[in-house]
Amino acid sequence: MSNIIWTWIAAFFTLAILSFLYKDNPFYKFAEHVYVGSSAAFMVLYVWVFDAYPKLVIGFTEKVGVQRYLLIIPLILSLFILLRFIKPLSWLSRWPIAFTVGMAAGLGITGLTQGFLVPQVQASILPLFVKGSTAGETILYTFNNWIIVLGTIFTILYFYFSREHKGILGVSSKVGITILMITFGASFGYTIMARISLLIGRIYFLLHNWLKLV
Amino acid sequence: MREFFEKLSRIDRRIIYLTVFLATAIPILTKITMKIEPLPEVVKAYNYIESLPESTIVMVSIDYDAASMPELQPMLETFLHHAFRKNLKVIMLGHWPLGLPLGQQALEDLAKKYNKVYGVDYVFLGYRPGVAAVIINMGKEIRNVFSTDYKYTPIDSLPLMRRVKNYKDIKLLFGLEAGAVGDSWIQYGYARYGLPIILGTTAVMTPDYYPYLQANQVISVIGGLRGAADYETLVGIKGQASIGMLPQSVIHLVIIAFIIIGNIGFLVLRRTKK
Amino acid sequence: MKKEIPLAITFISGFLLVLALFIPHKPFGNLEEIFNDWYIIVSGFTMLLGIDSLLGYNFGKIRRKEKDAPYALILILSFFLTLLWGVIEIIRTPEHNPFSPSSTFSRYFYNSIFVPLQSTMFAILSFFIASAAYRAFRAKEFNSALLLVSAVIVMLGRIPLGQGAAPYVITIIFLIFAWYFYSEAVGITETRIKLIYILVAILFVVLIYPIGWVYLRQHIPSFSDWLMNVPQMAGKRGIMIGIALGGIAMSIRIILGIERTYMK
Repeated sequence: MSNIIWTWIAAFFTLAILSFLYKDNPFYKFAEHVYVGSSAAFMVLYVWVFDAYPKLVIGFTEKVGVQRYLLIIPLILSLFILLRFIKPLSWLSRWPIAFTVGMAAGLGITGLTQGFLVPQVQASILPLFVKGSTAGETILYTFNNWIIVLGTIFTILYFYFSREHKGILGVSSKVGITILMITFGASFGYTIMARISLLIGRIYFLLHNWLKLV
Repeated sequence: MREFFEKLSRIDRRIIYLTVFLATAIPILTKITMKIEPLPEVVKAYNYIESLPESTIVMVSIDYDAASMPELQPMLETFLHHAFRKNLKVIMLGHWPLGLPLGQQALEDLAKKYNKVYGVDYVFLGYRPGVAAVIINMGKEIRNVFSTDYKYTPIDSLPLMRRVKNYKDIKLLFGLEAGAVGDSWIQYGYARYGLPIILGTTAVMTPDYYPYLQANQVISVIGGLRGAADYETLVGIKGQASIGMLPQSVIHLVIIAFIIIGNIGFLVLRRTKK
Repeated sequence: MKKEIPLAITFISGFLLVLALFIPHKPFGNLEEIFNDWYIIVSGFTMLLGIDSLLGYNFGKIRRKEKDAPYALILILSFFLTLLWGVIEIIRTPEHNPFSPSSTFSRYFYNSIFVPLQSTMFAILSFFIASAAYRAFRAKEFNSALLLVSAVIVMLGRIPLGQGAAPYVITIIFLIFAWYFYSEAVGITETRIKLIYILVAILFVVLIYPIGWVYLRQHIPSFSDWLMNVPQMAGKRGIMIGIALGGIAMSIRIILGIERTYMK
């Protein structure tokens, strides 16, 4: 019985959000505010369940020696974040924020260089003549490599705004924009696919779990 | 004539909404599933998983939430079917806390179906904040990040986890990606430690992962509902993604029709204006 | 002091990570690990930022008795009720985890309220994108026509019915293009250009059969594969390299203290 009630509740919230398509209305507003309020509560629960308790509380009990006392630093930094809520001391919350920003910047540099730029540039250095087993393959593979190499370079040049797009830069950025249009078109096609899939999921829920028609 | 074309280029949005709704609902009601030829990327992913020897340890990362459930949940379920049938050992964790229960529920349900034992055949670690730092530190020693599982059992008391020190003991990361966490897996997990990665991605994110695919930084990418349906076909289960293929087809043709109608109206009116 | 210490913290933490990548040995390797561990702890707490202002803003609405005060009340109630339910489950369940499948929080609240809300919120975007595709996807010039064709081909190549539908779609699109070039030609007085337009129109009609009915009917899945793997990939790579360079530059500015907007 309780399962049926909960399915009806789920259906109610689904329909309440869908009703926005007709126009903004109290049902939609109600559902929207429940969503925002409960999402915020989830965050608080996560901080305790997956962060503060296992990392700090359990950490203090299982770690020994210097390791244990080192945990005082992140504990203080974490508490400083909460000082934001107390006006006269709120400036102290800049310390943990400075730490997370610095860490994010450091992680960003290392990840982007080692994990993205170097391998991606390496993968773009391709032979401009590839011999396949047939003439057709040779033409196709060679053609593909030309597109990958030039397409990448021209797209980057298109985003180079420090100079006026004239002459060679003008031509290459024109080719760049052509490649970009294909890229954006493909991305748009994929975005449509993604959104439609979500709708299929919801309608399937209504027809299958709620109305039991399927 | 002109009025007709003007109407054609100005269809009320509610008519479009209704058409979209019906074009999705009616095909679902028919319950028809379609035969599909799996995409090469999905075949590659399938073959890699297929090649893993029994009791190999694999890791699954839940990097999505309910907003992408229809696309990624079938992929996850199919992967778990695949892994449990092959007797692979599964460690699950996540970087998107809001989606974490979706992963765990699927894991528990399918583990029960295949009579798998918690701690021996599969483990659920949970979540820690700070994506990149988590991935890097796990590469050195997994205990530094997860000293306990989701219910605070020390992981050394779980037989499966005693076999795992870091990524050297994990032969595959299967990441379900609705955002940029996949980039982090590649940029830290693969680049620093050589962790083999297969990503199941939402269609929105799929094009973003092709550069990594071409550079061989990932083994393969399973993209969107179509990718999920392909994977279901290969593993041999009739899941949600396969059911979604007919509505997916119909609705896309409807949208293409709308694009064409919009353009006919537009081009004709532009001519007559001149 | 209020500025110097945060700047120093940013510099030390950021610089250390870069250093540790190049010198992964002691002491930098260990320090990196410790810093990462602290980051894991502290960044969790940053999730709490914003909750105070969200609640404060909505309490304010109620106090001022604004028009949508009832909704503000709903938001605050659902915040505290969710929190309360979660806390009860932390205390009550043997896992001490409200998100585990055995807890009522996860079984009922998460599955029947939160999941439908979040997934429907994103599912309605499909209606908007369909309407946007109809309204905004217009072949105004060469580049927008290319965008449109690329989207249509990728969609047709990725749906099971695409192969069957492709010839018809291509026929219609090419006929529209042919008609467009022909009708443009009618208005042109210069013979040479007029001829070119008419030739292009004829070309589109002639190409319908070989492209639509012979090539794409068979090969649209592999053609869209090619589109994704070659030109699409090149463009995406170019964009992503640009973004990466920008990200690195920004990170360096942050570490060196040139960029300080985060301190506000």
